[in-house]
Amino acid sequence: MWSTAYGLIALAVVAFVVIYAASHAPSFASVNLADQLYSAKSQLASNISSLPRTDKPAYFTVYHNIVRIEVANATYGNYSFPAELPLGYKLAAEGNNLLYEIYLNVESCKPVSLRGGGAAVLYVVELRQSVDVLPWLAVYYADVNATAYYGQLYGLYRAWGRPPAVGLDLGAPLSKAEWAIVYNATSGSDVLYVAAPPSAPYIVVEDYPLAIPLACPR
Amino acid sequence: MIAFRDILIFAGLMALAAAVIATLFPVREGPSPAPACSDCAFKLTGGYWIRQYGNYASLYLGTREAARYGWAYVDGRPLSVGESVDCDPMYLWALDGLAYVSCNGEEPAFGREVGVLAPAAAVDISANPLGPGCAYTANVITNVMNGTIVTLYVYDAYGRLVYSASGVMPTSFTFSVPAAGTYRMHVYAPSLLDSWYTLYAGVSVVPTKAVVYTGNNTQDLRPAISLKVFDLTSFWERGYRSVVVYVDPGMRSFTLSAPASAFADFLLAWEDCPNCDPTYGALYVDEVWRVTFTQSGPVLTHVFSQGGYWHEVYADGNLIWAWNTQGPKQTTYTGTNPSIDVRFVSQASVMDAEALFTKTCSWS
Repeated sequence: MWSTAYGLIALAVVAFVVIYAASHAPSFASVNLADQLYSAKSQLASNISSLPRTDKPAYFTVYHNIVRIEVANATYGNYSFPAELPLGYKLAAEGNNLLYEIYLNVESCKPVSLRGGGAAVLYVVELRQSVDVLPWLAVYYADVNATAYYGQLYGLYRAWGRPPAVGLDLGAPLSKAEWAIVYNATSGSDVLYVAAPPSAPYIVVEDYPLAIPLACPR
Repeated sequence: MIAFRDILIFAGLMALAAAVIATLFPVREGPSPAPACSDCAFKLTGGYWIRQYGNYASLYLGTREAARYGWAYVDGRPLSVGESVDCDPMYLWALDGLAYVSCNGEEPAFGREVGVLAPAAAVDISANPLGPGCAYTANVITNVMNGTIVTLYVYDAYGRLVYSASGVMPTSFTFSVPAAGTYRMHVYAPSLLDSWYTLYAGVSVVPTKAVVYTGNNTQDLRPAISLKVFDLTSFWERGYRSVVVYVDPGMRSFTLSAPASAFADFLLAWEDCPNCDPTYGALYVDEVWRVTFTQSGPVLTHVFSQGGYWHEVYADGNLIWAWNTQGPKQTTYTGTNPSIDVRFVSQASVMDAEALFTKTCSWS
């Protein structure tokens, strides 16, 4: 009888020690920045085609998670129809310990001749990014016949009755494009140069998994 | 025989011994040790402080160094060498070998602000040429919802304030400039917006065999030019009561008085014949008409007619006046806002002239 009592007391003491130690032991929460960055970017990637689009500079200046577009006349055969050209993005997403922001704006687009001969279109894109993950940046061009692409786009226009956006509403197979970044140490605003074939209807700047299509202003 | 009782006693004694040993571990009330981990966050209590050295930062518990990091940041700011931070409790995020310290538990955020979320305000301007004058709408939009007041001023070309208003952003201002001219618009919201815009309110003229003048012209410009359009708007804006317009080498003139609250005013002087009148003859007076953009729309009024050739006047494609030929004699015509087309047709068709007046409201 007594020994059972001693046993119970001993158990109580053990339980106290275990609980006390557990509640006072140092503990830490793990912080996974890579996961946060990935989820912020994939959240943007899944929304990019449904973001609001504007052709007014004032709205692009003020708001974020917005696409700057230009409505241009596209032609398919004898048909002329309006299409939206995506020219700029202001995107922001937050993780717990992370602020992911990317600003892209096509400044100009001009035909150039390549060193080895052959023609290309040089996109000059202003690029600002909140986290320096740029070595992983990949740039592609839409490797598709422009006439065929605009034909499909015209089909979308007929089906929807509103101007479809190049790259955002209709994808295309991608090929790697030549690109270079010029960093600006004082302004934090970098310039991305992309050379794409003149027939490519758009380019894609990819910060995996976020792929951002950009077109040439008309 | 070993009974359950004996096992229980043994276990109890073992537990007591374990409890005694456990008390020797540093899991006691008061300072807790800093765990060595990376990519983790924890809270430290009881006398921890952190000091930045030239090439590392040390976390101290009292005088004992508990951990070392590459650099220490406090509330987003890197510590300078020799600086130390002491707070209780101390929240510490160890990430990539760096220590991010916060005294209030606010989590550190990585990533620079690159202007995407920056406080901003902008003006979206639109113009409407319908109705009297030019109606401008300045839509002030912002992403800062703290009741910032924005004020809008509009000055005319002589620096006179013609309109001002203020409101809490986001807001929209609509105003109308009553007369053609160049206006300066200032949109001012301290620290967010201080922008100047130029508003161009006017009437654009598309001339065919015609030229627009802002002063007298007495030249014989036949046969290239058969219609002279005199823009009188700026005279009325400067406060003239009446003006005298000389139209031909014979110095024939027309005296015109200021219209009441007109947006724009033009005198049209037309010649019907390429070679009949000699120089110093009666040139550019065969049809003289006036186009006034009034509050109710553009009005075409008859001033003077003469000449031996027959000629006709069309307004917006309708025949309103005939000279030396069968046709109407309508001395006024009111056009539909915001444009009017005036066409002169002569017996000598080489002198046919046309002017399309369109009210334009633009900005830059």
